[in-house]
Parts: sequence; structure tokens; C-alpha cells
Amino acid sequence: MRSRLPVLRARRRYMAFELEAEGTVPAKELVSEIHSAQVSLFGDAGAAQNRLKLISFNGKRGLLRCNHVHIDDTRAILATIRSVNGIRVALHSKGVSGTIKCATEKYLPQLGKISVENDGRRIELEEVSGCIIRTHGLKVDLCPDDRNKTKGSDTRYLGLTSFDLSGGHEDADGTADGL
Amino acid sequence: MSFCECLKAYPEGSASASRLALTAKGLGYNSLIICNVEPQKIFRPDAASAIKGVRVIVGAEVTADNPRALKSRVSAMRARFPFLMVTGRTDEMIRAASEDPNVDLLIHPCAYDIRRSLSIATARAAKLNRVAIGFDLGALAHLRGSSRARWLEAARRNLQVARKFELSLVITAGALSHLDLKAPRDLIALAEVAGFERKEAAEALKLPEKLVELNRRCWTSPGVELL
Repeated sequence: MRSRLPVLRARRRYMAFELEAEGTVPAKELVSEIHSAQVSLFGDAGAAQNRLKLISFNGKRGLLRCNHVHIDDTRAILATIRSVNGIRVALHSKGVSGTIKCATEKYLPQLGKISVENDGRRIELEEVSGCIIRTHGLKVDLCPDDRNKTKGSDTRYLGLTSFDLSGGHEDADGTADGL
Repeated sequence: MSFCECLKAYPEGSASASRLALTAKGLGYNSLIICNVEPQKIFRPDAASAIKGVRVIVGAEVTADNPRALKSRVSAMRARFPFLMVTGRTDEMIRAASEDPNVDLLIHPCAYDIRRSLSIATARAAKLNRVAIGFDLGALAHLRGSSRARWLEAARRNLQVARKFELSLVITAGALSHLDLKAPRDLIALAEVAGFERKEAAEALKLPEKLVELNRRCWTSPGVELL
């Protein structure tokens, strides 16, 4: 609803956030999860004071509109989200700005397509063995053979880095094909 | 600003020490303390040192069946690790941990039974022995509905007691994987929901590193340092 007086206009802030997930998360499911987390934490009355709206989301980074006095509440809401539709996720707030343009320029860099390699390489080390699900830069996600390895933390994959895998074999970085 | 987090690495968590360090660096932490129950079994702790800009400290979590075993294990591990953490599971264990000056952090005394809060005697002992009280804010993300409400109530009561006795506070996300790690600002916002003041929460996030610095120095007896 438009207010006639500029002083009565709602003051909005735009929060840029980053999503780290074990799979792909559609925007629609993320929105419903954010809303349910908000209602669960602050109730309907709290949600009415801080109307959240997802402005944009590209699968990795997004922009969320909130009220200017409830920025910390919005951060807390993002921090309480643990999984979306069974996929384990982590949401981190990047920064807050007063306009969409400013928030986009400042916090949402226009990166090219995220290069995710998915190859059927295997790791056979003394402590850990399994299939590599994806690698992204230094990060390596591994699906362990023993499902009990990820017990307790609800994750499907083990998080490793390429530093962990170097030096496992004499001639290789620990992967079975000697890469 | 130097923020610090206490967490668990593979094989007790589901991310390796270096992956945790990489994620923590991206979120703005300066140091990490890995508190596994069996620190010698951590998967490739040396790989974590390849990641620049974040300091990875190996501490330990002490578990035992009874207070006597706890006391002996704490004194055995004190010399080897700069940071010792105890999770409060039963009344006796909480009492024993708070009475031991070698313990650095007593985490979440309301976890095992949400209705019970920090007792006055425990708080007084913790004050005397300089044991910090930890709040595991990961529970705010794990729990939903009435159980979370009860957790918040217990945390608020613990916080009241801790403020009354001027105990040092620590907040942690209780991360078991890199997806559980939260940015310092997000963690402070969560702590504010649990009843912390903003300044208090920021201090609580910096305290573990200060404790490690103190423990690295060589103390011959309380207040006497060997230079």
C-alpha cells in the first residue's frame, strides 16, 4: 500500500546473503523455509513487523528485503535455517544496504558460472574412503563409503580440502587414479 | 577484531580441519579451536596450517564417567593442550568441572536437563576457579517449537546467574560440519535472541582466544608466571 506522506513510508534495507548447500535449492522452497523459520522464531506478530521478501536469488547468492530496525532479527532468522526440503544448507549474511542497486554492486559480485566439477574419482586413504561428489576450488565434497562417518551432523557428504588429500600416496594426491 | 570458534573436526564431525579453517576464514574468523574428544585422531591437522590467515588451535574436550576420572583426565591433558572443554551432562560432572581450575570452558550446563539451571554453588565455584560458561547456540538451529522455547528459557536463567556472579561467557555455534559454522555477526544476532547484550556477545566470541593466550604462558602457581 502506498502512503501519501514520504515520512510514513516504510524504511527498507536489503540484505545480501550467500547460500552453501549440498544440492541445488530452488528459490521457492528457500522462501517458504525463510518464512517458516521467521514465524517459528518470532511468531506471527514479529513477522508482521518485519515483512521479508526475497528480491533475487541465483542459486548461490541472493537479496532479501527487510525492515530497517529488524536487521539483526533477520540475521538470526537466516542463521537458524539448517535444511531446506531435506537438503542441508548454511545461509550467511554478507551485508546490508539501503538500495537494491547499492547492495548488488557492493555484495553480489557478478561472477561467471560457478565451476563445479563432478567426476567419478575415488579416494582411498587409511582414515577415509569414498567418491568425490564435487570439487570447487580448494573445496572437495566426498560421499563416504561408511555412512556412519557423517552421523550426528545430518550432512550427506564430508567436507574436505585438497590439502587433506595431498601426500596420501607417493605419486599422487590420494585419489585412486593418481590425479 | 579477533573472533574465535570452538568446534569438532572429522572423525567426530563431518568436515576436515582444513575445510573448517577455509570456511571460517571466509566468514571472518581469525582462529579456530578444535575440541575433539580424541585430539590425536583428528584427520590431517597439518593440512589446516596450509590455509593462511586463520590460526587452528587443537584443544580437547574431556569426557569421563565420574568426577574422579574427570579430575585425573583433566590434569593429565592440561600439559598437552592449551584449551580444555567439558560438556556438562550430569549434576556431579558440572560440579566437578566448575571446581577444577584446570578446566577452561564448561559448556552448556542446561543441555542434559532443560529445566535445571546453573546452581548458585556451581556458579560460585566457577567464579573462584575462573571457569568460563559456554552457550551452544547451535541448539537454536537444531530445535524447533516448544523445545526451543524451553531451551531459551533455560539459557536465559543461566545467563542471569552468570551475570550475577560475573562469570566469563563464551558463545559457540557447536559446529559439527562446515555448514554449521556461522559468521560472527550472525552468531551475535542469535545470541541477542537468546538474551545477550550485543557487547557481551562480542566479548564472548573473543574470549576463547584470550584463554588460549593465557594458557600458553608458563604459570607456576595462580598469579605467578615463570618468565
